[in-house]
Amino acid sequence: MSATRLWTVARLELVQRQRTSRWPIVFGAWFVIIGLVTLASWRAVREADFSSGPSLYDVTTFFVLMLGMLVVPSLTATTVNGDREHGVLATLQTTLVTSWELVLGKLLASWIVSLCFLATALPFLAWAWIEGGLSVGRILLSLLVLVVVMAVVAAVGLMFSTLTARPVSSAVLTYLSLASLVFGTLIAFLLSAVLLTDQVTVRVNGIPESYWAAQVEPPTGAEPPVEGRMMQPTQADCEVFTRTSEVSRTDRLWPLLAMNPFVVVADAAPSRHADTGTFTGGFTPMRWISDGARDAKAGPAVGEVQDECSYLPASGSAPLDGESADDLSLAAEEARNAAALERRDANPVWPWGLAFLVGLGLVSVVVAEQRVRTPVRRLPSGTRIA
Amino acid sequence: MSSAEGPVSGGGIVVDRVHRAFGDVVAVDDISLVARPGEVTALIGPNGAGKTTLMLMLATLLVPDDGSITVDGFSPVDDPREVRKRIGWMPDGFGTWDALTVREVLHTIGAAYDMPVGETRARTEEVLAQVHLADLADRRARVLSRGQKQRLGMARALLHRPTTLILDEPASGLDPRSRIELRDLLRGLAAAGTTVLVSSHILTELQEMADRAVIVSRGRTIETQTVDGAAPVARTWRVTALDRARLVTALGEAGADWHDAGTAVDVTLAGDREAAELLARLAGSGAGVTAYAPLHGEMEAAYLAATEDRQ
Repeated sequence: MSATRLWTVARLELVQRQRTSRWPIVFGAWFVIIGLVTLASWRAVREADFSSGPSLYDVTTFFVLMLGMLVVPSLTATTVNGDREHGVLATLQTTLVTSWELVLGKLLASWIVSLCFLATALPFLAWAWIEGGLSVGRILLSLLVLVVVMAVVAAVGLMFSTLTARPVSSAVLTYLSLASLVFGTLIAFLLSAVLLTDQVTVRVNGIPESYWAAQVEPPTGAEPPVEGRMMQPTQADCEVFTRTSEVSRTDRLWPLLAMNPFVVVADAAPSRHADTGTFTGGFTPMRWISDGARDAKAGPAVGEVQDECSYLPASGSAPLDGESADDLSLAAEEARNAAALERRDANPVWPWGLAFLVGLGLVSVVVAEQRVRTPVRRLPSGTRIA
Repeated sequence: MSSAEGPVSGGGIVVDRVHRAFGDVVAVDDISLVARPGEVTALIGPNGAGKTTLMLMLATLLVPDDGSITVDGFSPVDDPREVRKRIGWMPDGFGTWDALTVREVLHTIGAAYDMPVGETRARTEEVLAQVHLADLADRRARVLSRGQKQRLGMARALLHRPTTLILDEPASGLDPRSRIELRDLLRGLAAAGTTVLVSSHILTELQEMADRAVIVSRGRTIETQTVDGAAPVARTWRVTALDRARLVTALGEAGADWHDAGTAVDVTLAGDREAAELLARLAGSGAGVTAYAPLHGEMEAAYLAATEDRQ
């Protein structure tokens, strides 16, 4: 493979696009739209006590990803069949440019354009960083993931442009495929989560049925309940017992979520942890998606004792409609949160998702290369070589 | 024209019993031809005869289902890279990158052939002058006329100094002057040792530029002939005279095969020698011959004879 010839193809593609499209207007519109969205987000989440950086970052990054998934396919989904239609593909195929150079050159050109779009959004991501609550390392990681996802989206479009004779068909197929990844995986996960359940026996640390029965009919000699009032149980009333429950096996379904580019970017995003020590509150969609995906991957905690008592007062007793005799057990709350965080930390989704997307991109590129390889033995129906 | 076929040693194009189908449609059934270095070989045939498909196989774009092809001794199937180095291909209906200038198109092609930048730039100016596009070098390709695009296609095919030119309808869309220039250019290239295979429907021009003609029809080679001017080709000649009655009488006395063509008379003659003898006889008949010319060129006549079954 020759870098010079590869760059010749990429440069040809870039010059053609730069001269035939109104790029300054497109980039300007992109800048303004992202700017307006970031500004609106900032005004919505700005609070004195919270760091608004993660919220801004989440919204801006998601918006960049969303627009990127709309724009990038338009760059590649018509590149090969469009060239074939204009009679210029064969012109290159009869030179020393190889099929790999042709495919990778076109991919490189589209990727460069998508990076330009991303670069246009960088000032707003920098703004989010200045707002605080984000670490540079996590920002770089999420940007890297975003850049790779853009390349994969470009590769999928490129593949379809080699598979169909008509540019409009390849564009539609590309958008349908991306919609399947974004919405299809989510719908498939939700439907499957309802259908794929197991009956499991779980150990529970909670209030046994006998406690509530005793409230209604106290044992002989016990003080009768005050009429109209039921006593709130405390942690002292908790017992460990077993219960048969129906649980959704999300631990078998999480790969569906991992295939989703938004989940991959969200799970690698910096708002997952407020690792700068600043308290993060408010609207952080990436963290919510990430937590959901990681909880799904962890699955139901079948082997562990499910603690249903940590929300209860530690001791004493109080009427259900009155004040608690004790404060909520903050220590138990913190312990539960720490355990949840530990489970999530142990179940990252983005590396798997990224591996899947990279695999998809590689397969797309290989298919595209096969389809532009010459001399051709079998031409797809409706396709002209030149 | 005379029938001629023979082995080619070393360079040139050798096509041997090539077959290519697209599904149920057989585009090339059984074509064999030889195009020699230093000669212009014309590939002629009706629409759908398989000329373009054959050229796509020569240009390393299509694999033949059967048969063999070599270009300068290399197979387009097994050694496409070696063949690509050596061929300059100009397709029928040349497409180009419309947003690029004429000069940029050629610079891109030079880079695609691994030509050094300096050489590409120098060679670009050279071929632009050869195809008379130097004045339009900085114009975007999209503003070129069809004929100018054809000339750009020719420049593209010539840029990397190929030893073999494969030109599919190169004269299509060219004005008369450009056609003459194309003819001179191809003759010059052939004289310098280049193998030129050219297809065209404009047989009179091929007649003037080609050394050899390969006639194909329905995917098969019908005939291969050299164009040498002395070969006997049966042609129809149109004769006009001041005294038509005397003309008809003279033709009858000469035993000529003639038929009425309005004010003129068409005579079918076996070759140029017979035509010259009849002209001498008519001149002495007192008919006052005012016009005496073949209706078709030699190549055209050969083509019409070879493809007569289409009627």
